[in-house]
Amino acid sequence: MKSAPFEHHEPETVDEAVSLLESLDDPTILAGGQSLVPMLRFRLANPDVVVDINGVDSLDYLREEDGHLRLGALARHADVEDSALIDEKYGSFADAAPLVADPQIRNRGTVVGSVAQADPKGDWGSILLAHEGDVIATGPDGDRAIPADEFFLLPYDTTLGEQELITEIRVPAPEANEGSAYHKLKRKTGDYAMAGVGVRLVFDDGVIESAGIGMTAVDITNARATDAEEHLEGERPSPDLFAKAGELAAEQSNPESDEHGGADYKERMVDVLTQRALGDAAERAGTVTVERRVTQ
Amino acid sequence: MTDEREITLTVNGTEHTIEVEPRRLLVHAIREDLDMTGTHIGCDTGNCGACTVLKDGEPIKSCLMFAAQADGAEILTVEGMEDLPEADDIHPLQEGFREEHGLQCGYCTPGMLMAGKALLDEHPDPDEETIRDAISGNLCRCTGYQNIVRSIEYAAEELENRAAADGGAVAADGATGGGSAASPQGDASPEGGHAAPEFGGDADTFCGREDCCGGPDGADPFDRDALLEANDADAAGDAGGTDDAADTDADDRGDTK
Repeated sequence: MKSAPFEHHEPETVDEAVSLLESLDDPTILAGGQSLVPMLRFRLANPDVVVDINGVDSLDYLREEDGHLRLGALARHADVEDSALIDEKYGSFADAAPLVADPQIRNRGTVVGSVAQADPKGDWGSILLAHEGDVIATGPDGDRAIPADEFFLLPYDTTLGEQELITEIRVPAPEANEGSAYHKLKRKTGDYAMAGVGVRLVFDDGVIESAGIGMTAVDITNARATDAEEHLEGERPSPDLFAKAGELAAEQSNPESDEHGGADYKERMVDVLTQRALGDAAERAGTVTVERRVTQ
Repeated sequence: MTDEREITLTVNGTEHTIEVEPRRLLVHAIREDLDMTGTHIGCDTGNCGACTVLKDGEPIKSCLMFAAQADGAEILTVEGMEDLPEADDIHPLQEGFREEHGLQCGYCTPGMLMAGKALLDEHPDPDEETIRDAISGNLCRCTGYQNIVRSIEYAAEELENRAAADGGAVAADGATGGGSAASPQGDASPEGGHAAPEFGGDADTFCGREDCCGGPDGADPFDRDALLEANDADAAGDAGGTDDAADTDADDRGDTK
């Protein structure tokens, strides 16, 4: 099926893009298009105006700068997958990238686009939550940083303003004793998650100083497992501690039963994935190896 | 709204200028405007990968991209495979699909070939897991992935053999892709090829292919015409062998029940 006709604008700078968003009536932003194009084709989305930002070259970056990992709006999933920087320092990003859809889609789809789409099944939102990252929105009044915690409202609905463009997402660069990981359960290669858990742990002298846990596909948005985070902080890692954290994350999750599994099953999977991700994150932090109660 | 615009696509080395509406998908531009129907449309949702083409060397799903977004891009479709520098009469991947029965119903084949081509450009010697990952965005409705994996393995081996025989010339050319139709094989320095011990025509090291460049029949491994002729003769002689093949297939099916 073809999409309905639309007006296609191709700005080449952020300023141009933002002034288009300001002047046009209800425009839709097209970046990687791997979710938007099917929605247009099925006419689930019927915009009259599409602002295609693929020509805004200044948004095509993935770099560490000013103490943050910064991904521009045109950084593709494949850029994360192929990045030596990510491989070396950002475990959760390195885990997640190859699990997003399939190679062709990773070549086109963007990380920022996935966050902007705000699909509760999207992987990157959980990682952004776990790392306490920011969404950088550029509008007529300039840039503002929206903390990930304040970004997701409802499925496909965020606090982004109508005249704003997400130009970047950023997470703090890892501290010396930090590790992160992402685990995902899916029915088959290329699928969205049935459940996913992203974890970031920062240690201080063997004690968990700060813990971030983001969950995928088990609530109406990407969600944080705050009870589990609180339980971990100030403690030394152990199988018992991680098992309890898994249990708390599962309790705080809110999955729906569907054709792939019942809510009970998904909750149990949150428990398992949380324990696995905590184990990997702790190991990557370099301070401890925790005996795995839940194996791979 | 007829906001048509002129775009230029270089498809398989040939530049085309066409007018498209913004909503025109790349796959429709390729199939309908350029009349190259080798690129298939399978699922209409972006899942099946039958529409995979290489855009500037990268595999993408041409049903998930508007043609206008590919303005100025280099596209490789299945029609361009046999004109690649590493191709002989057909591309080693195409040959692999023929030899290893990777074609099956053939619907997913163009997408599989393009995904396979992108894989081998990056990983000339992939293991099975890497191959399966590379084609994970391509669905086969026969669900006969085993033969497709074997076909790609076959091509990897074949390309390696040819590269060795050519002293690496093909591999170097192949990496750039999308180029001229000229096969370097006819002009390759015979010294480069013959010097390699494994291609010295020794029956012990014969790779098993009828047109193996170091074959035991003493044929000049660089005489392409003679090899093609020999191949044709073999193909004619194969008619008697089909019964065996059918028996093997029947056995295989029996085993899986």
